Amino acid sequence: MISNTLRIGILIVALIIFISVIRLIIKNKMPVRYSLIWILSSLFLSFIAIFPKVFSKLANLVGFSVMSNLVIGIFIFILLMITMFLTVIVSNQRKKINLLIQELSITKRKIKWFSVKKELYKWK
Amino acid sequence: MKKKNLNVLIIIPAYNEEQNILKTYKTIIDYNNMNKTNFDVIVINDGSTDSTEDILTKNNIPHISLIHNLGIGGAVQTGYKYANINNYDIAIQYDADGQHDITYIDKIIKPIIDNQADMVIGSRFIKKNKDNFNSTFTRRIGIKIISFFIKLKTGKKIYDTTSGFRAINKKIINEFSNYYPFEYPEPISSVWLLKNKCNVSEVQVKMKEREFGKSSIHSWKNIYYMINVILSIILTHRRFKWYLIH
Repeated sequence: MISNTLRIGILIVALIIFISVIRLIIKNKMPVRYSLIWILSSLFLSFIAIFPKVFSKLANLVGFSVMSNLVIGIFIFILLMITMFLTVIVSNQRKKINLLIQELSITKRKIKWFSVKKELYKWK
Repeated sequence: MKKKNLNVLIIIPAYNEEQNILKTYKTIIDYNNMNKTNFDVIVINDGSTDSTEDILTKNNIPHISLIHNLGIGGAVQTGYKYANINNYDIAIQYDADGQHDITYIDKIIKPIIDNQADMVIGSRFIKKNKDNFNSTFTRRIGIKIISFFIKLKTGKKIYDTTSGFRAINKKIINEFSNYYPFEYPEPISSVWLLKNKCNVSEVQVKMKEREFGKSSIHSWKNIYYMINVILSIILTHRRFKWYLIH
């Protein structure tokens, strides 16, 4: 059903994902919370590479003729979820940026008002 | 360090604490009056949606109001930045809800004054006094697990890993005002200090325990939290500025 070279290839990809994520966490470029989905995905890939028979049975059960289609399907689904999640995060950040812009602008006006007032006081 | 000349700041992060913040502030003022101490207070209003801000302004409580909620890590770091700008010698993190007992403050800052420690944690359970704490069983297991992983990572056993009652000295104030963990700040900041060869010590204190009815050992949220904390402890990496490594 699945060649040994492919199994090794999948394991290598899983390892690359895993190591990249760990490095990002250590360098503080990714918080642990967001990394979990990537770590789970790489574990899932390793599982497929190590136990392909279990997975091909699952594929037949769900209705896929070829196991690799199920793998691709699951991965596309996971990526879609991650993308949706990222969209939410980005929207939240946009809201915070808008808030910062407004507050900062109002504060700038306050500072300008105070320095103008101080100038006036000097001339008295 | 001479005790009388020390500038000490008590940082109180507050999120929706309209019921407690005034009382907590007053106990500190009373303590200052009774013991002729001069502890400064700064309350960090972490984007409270209740009347906390009103209470702070109406009672002239020194405070910084964050324009957006940052969480405990962000709020406390704001306090450390304030302490750094204003050159405080010691900064103490203190709960707004009245759980912490102000009378232990001398015990907590003493090791810093004596230069025995860079950070002192007020711990609820150093000695195995079963009557000293009444957290739930789950919570205690959680704290023990976190303690185990901190020991694994740093070699030092910390008994109360989540205690927010802690004091730091000037060097660490400066360090934390630049970088402070926003996620799980209490265990992670201890790990940072220990991995940078700083002295962390614990002193026994008593706290008034809060009711903790919600958590159950089968709750998925708790397992998710534990996995995150444990991974964060294992993988965290922070090297202080070179002059701090002695």
